[in-house]
Amino acid sequence: MLMKATVSGTEVRTGGITLHNLQKRYGSAVAVDDVSLSVSPGEFISLLGPSGSGKTTTLMMIAGFEMPDSGQVLLDDKDITRLPPHRRELGVIFQNYALFPHMTVAENVAYPLRMRRMAKAEIETRVRRILDQVHLGALASRYPHQMSGGQQQRVAIARALVFDPPVLLLDEPLGALDKKLREHLRNEIKTLHKEVGKTMIYVTHDQDEALAMSDRVAVMHEGRIRQVSAPKDVYRWPADLFVAGFVGEVNLIPIMLKSGTVHGPAGEILPAPSWQDVDRDATLCVRPEHLHLEVSAGSSDGIQGRISGMTFVGDATIFEFRSEAGLQLLSKVLNVSAKRMPEVGDPCVASWAANDATILTE
Amino acid sequence: MAGTMSSIATDGRRTSSLVSSSAQPTRWAWLLLPGSIFLVVLFVVPLTGLLLLAFGMPNWTLANFSRIGDTPVYLTVMRNTLEISLTVTALAFVLSYPIAYALTNAGTALRTVLLIGVVLPYFTSTLVRTFAWIVLLGRNGVVNQFLLEIGWASQPVTMLYNRFGVILGMTHIVMPMMILPMYTVMSSIDPKLMRAARANGASPLAAFLTIFLPLSLPGLIAGVLLVFIYCLGFYITPALMGGLSDVMITMAISSQILEQLNWSFGAALSVVLLVAVLTTLWVGSRFFPIEQLLGFSDGKAGSNRGRRQMGAQLLLRIGSTANALDRWFPSMGGRTVPILASFLAVLLLLPVGIVVYLSFSASSYFVFPLPGYSLRNYEAFLFDALWVRATFTSIRIALMAVCMAIALGAMLAFGLSRGAMPGRGALVALLLSPIIMPTVIVAVATYFLLARFGLQGTEFGLALGHAVHAIPYVVVIVVANLRDLNPSYERAARSLGAGSWATFRTIVAPLVMPALIVAAFFAFLASFDDVVYVLFLGIGKITTLPMRMWEGIRQDISPTIAAVATLQMLFATTVIVVGTLLRRKKTT
Repeated sequence: MLMKATVSGTEVRTGGITLHNLQKRYGSAVAVDDVSLSVSPGEFISLLGPSGSGKTTTLMMIAGFEMPDSGQVLLDDKDITRLPPHRRELGVIFQNYALFPHMTVAENVAYPLRMRRMAKAEIETRVRRILDQVHLGALASRYPHQMSGGQQQRVAIARALVFDPPVLLLDEPLGALDKKLREHLRNEIKTLHKEVGKTMIYVTHDQDEALAMSDRVAVMHEGRIRQVSAPKDVYRWPADLFVAGFVGEVNLIPIMLKSGTVHGPAGEILPAPSWQDVDRDATLCVRPEHLHLEVSAGSSDGIQGRISGMTFVGDATIFEFRSEAGLQLLSKVLNVSAKRMPEVGDPCVASWAANDATILTE
Repeated sequence: MAGTMSSIATDGRRTSSLVSSSAQPTRWAWLLLPGSIFLVVLFVVPLTGLLLLAFGMPNWTLANFSRIGDTPVYLTVMRNTLEISLTVTALAFVLSYPIAYALTNAGTALRTVLLIGVVLPYFTSTLVRTFAWIVLLGRNGVVNQFLLEIGWASQPVTMLYNRFGVILGMTHIVMPMMILPMYTVMSSIDPKLMRAARANGASPLAAFLTIFLPLSLPGLIAGVLLVFIYCLGFYITPALMGGLSDVMITMAISSQILEQLNWSFGAALSVVLLVAVLTTLWVGSRFFPIEQLLGFSDGKAGSNRGRRQMGAQLLLRIGSTANALDRWFPSMGGRTVPILASFLAVLLLLPVGIVVYLSFSASSYFVFPLPGYSLRNYEAFLFDALWVRATFTSIRIALMAVCMAIALGAMLAFGLSRGAMPGRGALVALLLSPIIMPTVIVAVATYFLLARFGLQGTEFGLALGHAVHAIPYVVVIVVANLRDLNPSYERAARSLGAGSWATFRTIVAPLVMPALIVAAFFAFLASFDDVVYVLFLGIGKITTLPMRMWEGIRQDISPTIAAVATLQMLFATTVIVVGTLLRRKKTT
């Protein structure tokens, strides 16, 4: 659908971004605190975090709209920290797209080329080509406010790609749209990434988006990067309590690590992976879909309690479990037919496979 | 007139956000009736009368107009008016743009300083600010004393009662009027657009030329339009600061009506002014929906793309050229604009500041710097029976005007926001015209009408005139507030069992009350500061506070006036502060 990237074997790929110890303060508040990150050419990386986590500030420092107090931004080993934004040659797609309201679609897309003082004929060819590629050739003379949200996004993409930057920065481009459209456009961006092969740095607060689109996810909190891993690993092996709680639903169980065994709040022995042999308090993370509720009170390791509630969510049912010590846990069970479901009030044991749990010591 | 207004009217209908344009009048529309009748009787009828009088009714003739065309004096007057208005508008534009720009883009601290510099003079009466300039520029004025002191002049420089003085004074007075619409439009420009331009390779200068400037154009046009119209009909400052060779059309009108008692000729001159204003409005309305500049709609100006397109293309070309320059001059602009803007804002505040300072003088002359501080000027004001009586007269008239303006204006605002009716746009145009029309014309026209009923020279008659002038302000303020008033509050109240009256009493009235109070203050201020209506409608029988100041300025410029001016400014400042606080309270 979009530009074909010609990736031959010998070509040196460009578009690597490296951040070295970036620091940014506003008064006494630290917005970005010692952020280092290396993005390889062609990679799709998400900066994921709640509002105020510093993800947008980080992106704006890459784009050149914010000046870091210390640290460096490198583009393919070239220091661009002090370069003004218009000389960075990075494509930026803004939240709500920031299409120029007084220019037509064609003029919007031609803008970066005009600013580079390209020849008129060359501009026309390029604009026509990219608009055809995003299927907007027929709407070239429309104004942005006459277009739908999806069409606007494609104009924004065309405008950011027309001057062929090696890196695309996306600042919550799907933030203000409704759910259906978001999912559709999410796929469009993903397809685009596959086709043009450009480095993409994508800022979002939506964990589903980050997990679905990225090669790697950098989870940010309070100005710091807490974890950088592939989506699967971020979900499966959260590095700390914040990441565990922010990415997906999680059951956090206070535990005590004692000479080879893991003890729950009531002293019961719980299934858990092995750990370095230190006695201490810790937290055990178990995803709801990994937590099983056994109605027959067996002898297996686990927490004794009762089912205190259930919610039907379509493809699955969420069971609320309450232990004898008062601990609340969630269990997600897929609604597979012919499977007998427990009822509210049933006594049961909550357990999980040892390898599905993660021990976090903080 | 109908032609001009209809173009505004269509915009009014298009941009009314709350009302779906159904042809059937709803019950709310009845609220429009009393105010409309009031404005028709006291605004449309007098203006029509003025027109008829100018054409010599009942003996139709063009004699008055041919006399204007044949008399070199009046041609000079018209040339003066045009020259001065154009110069002042151009000067005000050049000086206002940096302030408006800095106001939009500066940090909080600078913005606060600039806002004070713009808003405080805006709400200080024209008379007080003119007085300030006379004190500054006079033969023994502050500037001359300063120049002689530092030896830049060996004898006093004539800066007053000539073209220089008029242009300086008028420019200072109209600048806030230019800045505010510019600022309104500029601050609605999404700052992300500038970032998008930068990300797409535009240098700061190129981004400004290709994005910010074209998008701020509606505000620039609105400001220029408002100021030019205001200059055409400006009376107070030219009359007080101009020389004999700088007679403007308003002064000719007032001299014909008040001194020569040649009503029909005065009416003809007024018609000429009226035509000039309407022509300007008509030309302007081709580029900009007029009612938007008065804060009446939040619609996007976008009907004249084709015409604006050419300008934008040109700017785009200049912008891309500027981008090439960026390679050679990497840092341009930067701190220059904020520094320039702060300097200009200080200049805006300076004249009024000096009046406040001089009001505490211990001397009975204006000496700069002060020989000593005292409150003698304030005592002179408070213990002078004439000053005190004038103050009470002003308050009485203002209160009468406020009552009328609030009652009628609030009903009109509700009717406009909630009611649907055919011809709504025409009504909006009618409502707003009293503040766009030159006060001199309206005052002259009203004078003819009141004279028929023997109401000239009565306080009630004057209050009627002031009410016509204040109603638009009330409507604009209350409509803006009603737009924020989400109808779902009322629906919620209804669903909870409140009847329509109970809903109004418990939900709408408390939520609208702050706006009504603010509107009342502004209506009061509009009446309290007025000179022009008093000159024509008071026929020398009514002496309000500004009237007494006016006479004082023309005869002897005593420092007592500085004290009165300071008190008026204090009052205006209180109004602004109370207004801001009430608005803030509502939002928290």
